[in-house]
Amino acid sequence: MNQEKRYSDEFLNAFVDNQIAAEEKSRAYVEIQRDEALNRQVCELRKLHDLVQLAYREPPAPPAHAASGPDSGRARLRFGVAASFLLALGIVLGTQIRIPESATTPQTVLTPDPVAPRAVANVSSRQSALPTRPSKAEVAVASEPVQTAVAPTANLQQAPAGTTAAAPAELAPIAAQREIPANAQTKVLIHLARDDATQLSQALDDIEGVLKHYRNIHLNAHVEVVVNGKGLELVRTDTSLFAGRIQRLQREYDNLTFAACQNTIDRLAREQGIIVRLLPGVITIDSGMAEIMRRQNQGWAYLQV
Amino acid sequence: MRKLLTLTMLAVLTVLGTGCATMFGEDKQKVVYHINYNDEKQLNAALGNVKNHINAIGKDKIDVKVVMHGAGLDLLKIANTDLNMQQKVIGLKKDGVAFQVCNNTLVNKKMDYKNDLFDVSKADIVPSGVAEVANLQQKGYVYIKP
Repeated sequence: MNQEKRYSDEFLNAFVDNQIAAEEKSRAYVEIQRDEALNRQVCELRKLHDLVQLAYREPPAPPAHAASGPDSGRARLRFGVAASFLLALGIVLGTQIRIPESATTPQTVLTPDPVAPRAVANVSSRQSALPTRPSKAEVAVASEPVQTAVAPTANLQQAPAGTTAAAPAELAPIAAQREIPANAQTKVLIHLARDDATQLSQALDDIEGVLKHYRNIHLNAHVEVVVNGKGLELVRTDTSLFAGRIQRLQREYDNLTFAACQNTIDRLAREQGIIVRLLPGVITIDSGMAEIMRRQNQGWAYLQV
Repeated sequence: MRKLLTLTMLAVLTVLGTGCATMFGEDKQKVVYHINYNDEKQLNAALGNVKNHINAIGKDKIDVKVVMHGAGLDLLKIANTDLNMQQKVIGLKKDGVAFQVCNNTLVNKKMDYKNDLFDVSKADIVPSGVAEVANLQQKGYVYIKP
């Protein structure tokens, strides 16, 4: 039972590190074979040794390089200089090129707003109902699970499709277009801040005009129309003067989203007791103002019409 | 190996050079003013904003585009008859301001830019005013709606 005294920690470490003479080593082997406790101790040390070896596998490389030739120092310097140039280049390019955030991190764009799904009441397979262009099909598919998953939570502010006067039965229901195609080249947020009929009509002309333009030049663009305050009347089933036109636009352009401000909806309920029902396909966003800032930070163009 | 390194360095330097040139070469402030209303007071105030903006920055250091669509085209319609408005437009154009007119609006309102609007040439017409405002923002123009 005195092996542990005979073999000090230093000795065992040296043993594991293979730094003792062969003769002594073979003698130690015999002892270790015989003593279970000692055996375990060596085993532990060896494990530690291996872990250290594993963690420091890289550093031993440089000496090999250094020994490769007299001008290896210069080579390293050149590598260093090249690396710093690459770094500088990266910085310059980084500040110059604004990669659309959707291209790099699609999940940030695709993440549905926590409140957005509320408006999704009647969602059905849009791509089967409409002959959408192929590039859009995948987007529709991608958006499907999210929408169906949250459909049961649709609250009473959203009118069931059947009760909306302007939805002719023979037309397919309008899907909420919250998911923005990751490959959209141009993303435009239009803040609709008008309320009188002439101005709203003009604003819808503008929206239709730009959508038509993008279609004509085959530009893959997405347009999000944000309504808040008085502007919300445009997308309410009971107040909208242009329900039919909005639904026609939604059917004609699957790259168009109408987004209503939840703050406004809540305020109407609180202050005037109005339970807002939105036109089909109109989504809600937490706050119109927050959305405007958010989208601009994401690189969207912004216009107020 | 050394040749390869030198070549790589040269390539990197070239790209770096272009990067720097685009970063520092163009120090002009780029601004797009968006006009889609026809209230005369508001229009006068908007042009006043543009003028003040240019005075503050210096006309050589700023690139201003005024994009008009919808009712905003009335600015140049008014300038056809109202000398005050006309002078403002002329003055701003001298400072390098570009006035851009939406073709969608011209078509919708059946307007003839040569007769109905003040000093508009074909080069001033853009297919869609909204798309132009968005496009300019993508090119780094700052959006201002006065």
